[in-house]
Amino acid sequence: MSSTLKGITLKGSAELVAEFFSFGINSILYQRGIYPPETFTRVTHYDMSLQLTTDPKLKNYLTNVVSQLKEWLFECTVQKLVLVITCLETNEVLERWQFDIECDKSAKESSAPREKSIKTIQDEIRSVIRQITATVTFLPLLEVPCAFDLLVYTDKDLVVPEKWEESGPQIINQSEEVRLRSFTTSIHKVNSMVAYKRTDSV
Amino acid sequence: MDLEDDTTVLTTLKSFNSFISRSDQPQRPSDQSTGTGHLQSQYKRSMELLEAADRVKSKNRYLQLDQEKKQMELSHKRARFELEKAASESARGLAHEVDRNQELLQRIKKLEERETEAAKNLAEQVEANRTLRKNMGGLNKKLEERDSALNTANQNISSLKDEIRELKQKIQSKDSAISAQTLENQELQEQLDLQRRKYQEVSQLCQSLQSMQSSCSEHVIKIKELETRLALQEQDIAIVKTVKSEVAKVPDLEKELKRLRDDNAFLRENRENCSLLKEEVEGLRKKLERMEKTKEELVNMELEKERLAEKLQGWENLGQYTGLNIRKPEDLSREVIQIQQREIALKEQNYTLNSRVRSVERSQSELRTEVSQQRSKTLEEQKKREAQDALVRRLQKRVLLLTKERDGMRAILESYDSELAPTEYSPQLSKRLREAEDILQKTQNHNAEMEAQLTKAQEETGSLKLQLQKVELEIEALKKQQASAADSSSLATKEEVSLLRQKIEDLEAERQRLEEQNNVLEMRLERHNLQGDFDPLKTRVLHLKMNPTSVAKQERQQEVDALREEVTNLRELMRSLQDGGGLVSSQDDSSLHRSSLGLSLPPSKEVLDLRKQMESSELRNQRLKEVFQKKIQEFRTVCYVLTGYQMDITTENQYRLTSVYAEHMDDSLLFKKGSNGSMQLMETEFSKTLGEMVALHLHHQKSIPAFLSAVTLDLFSRQTTI
Repeated sequence: MSSTLKGITLKGSAELVAEFFSFGINSILYQRGIYPPETFTRVTHYDMSLQLTTDPKLKNYLTNVVSQLKEWLFECTVQKLVLVITCLETNEVLERWQFDIECDKSAKESSAPREKSIKTIQDEIRSVIRQITATVTFLPLLEVPCAFDLLVYTDKDLVVPEKWEESGPQIINQSEEVRLRSFTTSIHKVNSMVAYKRTDSV
Repeated sequence: MDLEDDTTVLTTLKSFNSFISRSDQPQRPSDQSTGTGHLQSQYKRSMELLEAADRVKSKNRYLQLDQEKKQMELSHKRARFELEKAASESARGLAHEVDRNQELLQRIKKLEERETEAAKNLAEQVEANRTLRKNMGGLNKKLEERDSALNTANQNISSLKDEIRELKQKIQSKDSAISAQTLENQELQEQLDLQRRKYQEVSQLCQSLQSMQSSCSEHVIKIKELETRLALQEQDIAIVKTVKSEVAKVPDLEKELKRLRDDNAFLRENRENCSLLKEEVEGLRKKLERMEKTKEELVNMELEKERLAEKLQGWENLGQYTGLNIRKPEDLSREVIQIQQREIALKEQNYTLNSRVRSVERSQSELRTEVSQQRSKTLEEQKKREAQDALVRRLQKRVLLLTKERDGMRAILESYDSELAPTEYSPQLSKRLREAEDILQKTQNHNAEMEAQLTKAQEETGSLKLQLQKVELEIEALKKQQASAADSSSLATKEEVSLLRQKIEDLEAERQRLEEQNNVLEMRLERHNLQGDFDPLKTRVLHLKMNPTSVAKQERQQEVDALREEVTNLRELMRSLQDGGGLVSSQDDSSLHRSSLGLSLPPSKEVLDLRKQMESSELRNQRLKEVFQKKIQEFRTVCYVLTGYQMDITTENQYRLTSVYAEHMDDSLLFKKGSNGSMQLMETEFSKTLGEMVALHLHHQKSIPAFLSAVTLDLFSRQTTI
C-alpha cells in the first residue's frame, strides 16, 4: 500500500490482490468448516468483520503461499489461484474455488500508477467476499472430514521455487459451476468462481 | 345504662332504708311492752347506739360503695370515652364490655343481696338479742357474738371490697385487652386493606395475564403466519438465488458477447481472406480446367492411340495378310507426325480464327465508335435538315406573303391604271412597276435559289440516311458475327460463373458451420476453463509440497498405520491370551506367555497384578478344596462310626445307606429326597426283607431315624446271635 490514494502501482496492486487472497481463503475455510470455528478470530477489514485463523500451522502455510503469490503477482506470471477441498476418506475433490487472475503485463514496463482509488477496489473486494460468504446457502454440506490445498496456475516458463512442486489440476468429476463477482485493480483482474461436486439428489 | 345503674343503686338504698326504718318500728312496741328500766334504757340506748353505729357503719359502707361506684362510674366513663373514641370501629367490643359491665352489676346486685341477707341476719340477731334480753344473762355474750358476727360481716365486706378491687383490676386488664384488641383489630384491618389491595393487584395481574394469554394466542397465530411467510420467503430466497446465479452468469454472457463480436470482426477479416482465397481458387480452377482439357486431350490421345493400335493391329493384320511395309512403327510415327502436323495446322487455323475473331472484335469496336460517330453525324444532319425544313417553310410562307403582296400591289396598280390616266403618272408608275418587278424577280430568284438549296439539302439527308442504313446494316452484320463468335466463349464463362458461385456458397456454408463449431468449442473450452482445465503448453500448476491436504493425508495414513499395528498387536495378544486361558494350570503357560509377550506390547501392570491375584486365589481355592475333602472324609467316618451307616450319594437326590452290621455287601437302603424335602424309602432287595419294620416305623410312626435304629438293632442282634 505504498501508493497514494490517487492511483495504484503494480506493487500496490499485487499487495492488494494478495491481501484479498489471504482474507478470501480464510473466510472460505471458516465458512466451509474445514477448520473448527473456534480456531478463528474476528478482525475488521474492508469495513466488515472477517474471520482469521489462529492455527499456527495454517497461518504459517498461508503466509508462505501468499508471500510467494505476491511475488508472482508482481511478476504477472500467475494465471489462477485455486483452493481445492478434498475429502480425506475417498480423496475425492468436492469443491474448487477458482480465482482467475488476468494480469495487465503492460504495467510491468510502464511504472505509471493507474487511476483507480484503493477505496473503490476495496469496495469491489468486499462484495466478492460477501458473495463468498453467501455461497454457503447453496453449496452442499461437507459432511466428511476434508482438507484443502492451494494450487497456483503460473506461466510455463516460471522457475519452480524450492518447496513447491507441480501438481495435477484436481478437477471435479461432474461439477456444477457458479461464477462469482470479479474485481479489478486495473492491473490485476480477479474473476472468482466456485465449482462443486454435483450431488445425486439434484 | 348509667341511669339504670343509678336507679338500681338507689332502689337498693331505698329498700335498705325502708328495711331499717321497718326494723325500728316493731322494736318500739316491744320496748314499750318491756317497760321502762335502766337496763332497758341502757339497752335501748346501747341498741340505739348500736343501731346508730350500724347505720353509720352502713352509711359509711354505703358511702364507700357509693364512692366506689362513683369511681367505677368514673372509670366507666373513662372507658366509655376511650370506647367512644374507638366507637365506630369497636362497637362489638363495646357491647361485649357492656355485657361484662352488666355482669359486674349483677354481681354487685348479688353482693347487695348478700348485704340484704346480712341485714336480715342482723334483724334475726336483733330478734335473738330480744330473746337474750329476755334471757338477761346471756345477752352480753350474745352481744359479743353479734359483734363477732358483725366483725365477720365486716370481714366479708372487706373481702367483698377486695373482690371488687380485683374486679376493677380485671376491668382494667379487660380495658387494656380491649385496647390491645382494637389495636389488633386496626392492624388486622390494615392487613385486610393490604390484602384487599393485594387482591386487587392480583386480580389486575389476573386480568393482565388473561389479556397476555389472549395476546399470546394472537402472537402464536402471528408466529404461525410469520412462519408460513418465512417459508414463502425461503422459497423466494431460493428463487432469488437461482436468479442471482443467473445474474452472475450475465457478465459472463456479456463477456462472451464481446468475444463473439471480436470473433465477428475476425471472421469478417476471414471473409476477406476468403474472397482472396476464392480468387486463388478461381485461378486454380482455371488451371484445373486447363489440366482437364489436357486430360481430355490425353484421353483423346489415348483413344486415338487405341484406335491407332487397332489400326496398327489392322495394319499388322494387313501386314500379316499382305506382308506389306506398314508394319513398322516408323509408319505409325509418320502417320502420327502427319496427324500432329494436321493438328498443328488445325491449331494454327484455330489461332488464326481466334486472331480473326479478335480482329473482328477490334473492328467491331471500331465500327461501334464509327457507328456512334455516324449516329451523331446523322443527328447533326437531321438537325440541319430540320433547320432547313424550318427555313424552307419560313421561306415558303414568305413567298406566299410576297405573292400576296405582289397580287395586292398589282391590283392597286391595275386600279391606279384604270382610274388614272396612264399618262399622268406613267413614268413614275412604270418606274415603280419596274422596281417592283425587279424586286419580284429578285425574290423569285431567291426563292428558286432557296428551293434549289432545299432540294440539295434533302438530297444530302437522303444520302446520309442511306449511309446510315448502310452503316447500321454493317453494324448488325458485325454484331451477328460477334455474337456468333462470342457465343461459345460466353456459355463457358457463364458455366464457370455459376460453378464459382456454387463454390462460394458451399464455402460460405462451410464457413458458417466452422464458425458454429468454433463457438461450441469455445464454449467447451470456457467450461473446461471453469472446471479448472488448463493448457499444459502454457500453464503449469504448482502447489506447496507441505500443503494441508498432503499433511492431513499423511497424518491420516500414519494414524491408520498406527491403528492397524495396534489392532494386529491386540489381536495377537488376544489370541495368546485365549491360548493361555486354556493352559492356565499348565506349567508352560509362562513360557507361552513370554513368547506372546515378545510379539505383543508388554502387558500392563494391572494385568500382572490381576494375574497374581488370580494365582493366589486359585491357591487358596486349592487349599480350601483339600481342607474340605479332609473334613468331609472325617465327617463321613464319624457318621459311619456313630450312626452305623455309610452314606453314599448314588445319583442326585438319592442316598444309599449301608449298615455297618450288614450281612452282605449289597444290603443297603435307598432313600430319595422328594421335591418337598421329605425322604422316601426306595425298594431294594434288602428293604423287601424289612416289611414289618417298614410298616411299623415308616407307615405308622413315620420316623426314619427310628426305622434305621430298628434296622441297626436287628442286624446287630442277628450278628451277635451268630
